[in-house]
Amino acid sequence: MPNNNEETNQEVTPGQAQLDSSLTQKIKYLQTLQSALHEHDDRQIYELIDKPRYDREVKKSRSTTKTQNLADLVADDHEQLSHYLSENLIDYLGKTYPFFYYDEVRNGEFDIYFGNWWDRRKFGKLDVLNVAFEFDETEYGKLKRSFELDALNQRYNTDNIAEISANSAQLQKLIDGQDERDHQKETLRQQLKEVSQKSTLPWDSGKVKEERQTIVDQLSKLADDDEEAINANKKIKENDEKILSLSKEDTILTYEKQSIQQRFEDFSHFESHNQSLYTDYLTSLIGKGQVNVDD
Amino acid sequence: MINENDPSTLSTSGRLLSYNNAVKEGLKIGQQFTELMDQLINTKDPKELVAAAQTLSVFELDSDYVTFPHQYNNADYYLVFMSRLLELHDQGEAITLDSHEDNQHLTQQISALGDLGVFAFVSANDNTGGVYYQDKVTGETLFYLNLKRRMMRINSSAITKLFIETYADKLEKEHLLSATDLLIAFGQALKTDFGFDVDFNLLDTSNNEFYAFQTSNLSGEIVDKLFVAAASENYMLKHDKDGAVLELAPDLKLKIASHNATGGAAWGLYVSDEDQTVSWFKVLLEYPFLRKWYLENIDDLQIRSDNLVF
Repeated sequence: MPNNNEETNQEVTPGQAQLDSSLTQKIKYLQTLQSALHEHDDRQIYELIDKPRYDREVKKSRSTTKTQNLADLVADDHEQLSHYLSENLIDYLGKTYPFFYYDEVRNGEFDIYFGNWWDRRKFGKLDVLNVAFEFDETEYGKLKRSFELDALNQRYNTDNIAEISANSAQLQKLIDGQDERDHQKETLRQQLKEVSQKSTLPWDSGKVKEERQTIVDQLSKLADDDEEAINANKKIKENDEKILSLSKEDTILTYEKQSIQQRFEDFSHFESHNQSLYTDYLTSLIGKGQVNVDD
Repeated sequence: MINENDPSTLSTSGRLLSYNNAVKEGLKIGQQFTELMDQLINTKDPKELVAAAQTLSVFELDSDYVTFPHQYNNADYYLVFMSRLLELHDQGEAITLDSHEDNQHLTQQISALGDLGVFAFVSANDNTGGVYYQDKVTGETLFYLNLKRRMMRINSSAITKLFIETYADKLEKEHLLSATDLLIAFGQALKTDFGFDVDFNLLDTSNNEFYAFQTSNLSGEIVDKLFVAAASENYMLKHDKDGAVLELAPDLKLKIASHNATGGAAWGLYVSDEDQTVSWFKVLLEYPFLRKWYLENIDDLQIRSDNLVF
């Protein structure tokens, strides 16, 4: 049996002292984190997992003293922490962003859906540990653009839809013009026959040839139109499908826009709210921690 | 040997006797017939009424020695039955029964439809006495009725064609509704008086009624169309656990679901309102954008009818 007394009485080297203090710090860190967890003090948990950010953005402290990065100790607990912290965060977000819905696709990992309408868009992810939205850039860009177009009284796909509609109208005209074209062809063929039957005197041949060519060109143009008319119905149907999907996108963007306008008035207010989300949320938690214990 | 069944073996008086017996038999059948007719026309008891109709619907009035030149069609007795049953349920004025003496047959008109429909029953030729209630003008059959198997089935396709399309711009909504209410009243009487199994189909107002679409694989595109059409009328088609939901009024929801009432996989609709007085049919009459959507995609959306009889 080793003699404990003898061991503690041994002299402590500076290296050992440093190690000892480092371990104590770590133990203290983990103990504080654990008790914060037990007391449902989410604010303190956030402070513990990212102290520099907390000091900078919540305490607004200007000191840049380097603290040992103890947060790494729980790096492999992030999934669980994110899952745990999401509950209160999502409650909070529900008040500020009532139009966002969250789906926990994996433990602690949340997809954001915009709205509760049919085929609502997946709008990005929720970064619970950093209290931040990670919006899908494409979707976000479309929404931003619709706000800009709003000033022009236009929707995101207005031009696009107009263009396709014009194309369909053109195709419909082509279909409707079939009888007219058939009639024209008949007349042109008759003319062609007459031209061919004309006496081809040497001094006339150039003129006749020219006349013939004009008629042939007209006929071939009509044949092209006929060809296009045959495929027009299919093309119009394809256009209808495109218009449907663009109208659907416009409808969704309108709903999104309205949701934001109802809550934030305009897009810039929405954006600034997102910017300060971390500070706002953690500030709202100050004083709320340990409520259960104090009661 | 004298064989009563073989007249050639009988004496003259024996033949007369046999003839007389056969005529008596034939008259007895006639007598029985008139008693049944009395019962069908006069009884106040629903049970006696259905019994008379059931017997008459398969009654052979002619016998070898006695034939009757003026006869109604067997299916005509169903019309009398229907009129009488509605009369017993204080709905007698909602229909008129017309007798056509020239070729001895009956037709029925629904008062609410004015001159538009002329209805009669035609045999379903299914060997169980089943009949279709058919509009003579368009040939559409509104429902199937079988007294023996105690069942009635409403035909969704005919209801849609007549009441949503053909009559829609000729008649007021109220009249269309009182015509279909009559069909419901008839089915309800069959249900409560005789315990019939009745499928009201798209006329059913119960919240649990699952109106199954023709297609078992509804394309997202069709729902997209509804989403866009609804938005332009200021209704929001919302995401729902099992499909989509449209709130048409504070107490009226239309649900598109991918499961029927027993949880089986199928696409269709539910219409729910607190008093359970609204059917898919009523919704179609009330909301033009839904009517347009339904009719434009009818190949997929047509509500299924009992495929054993339609």
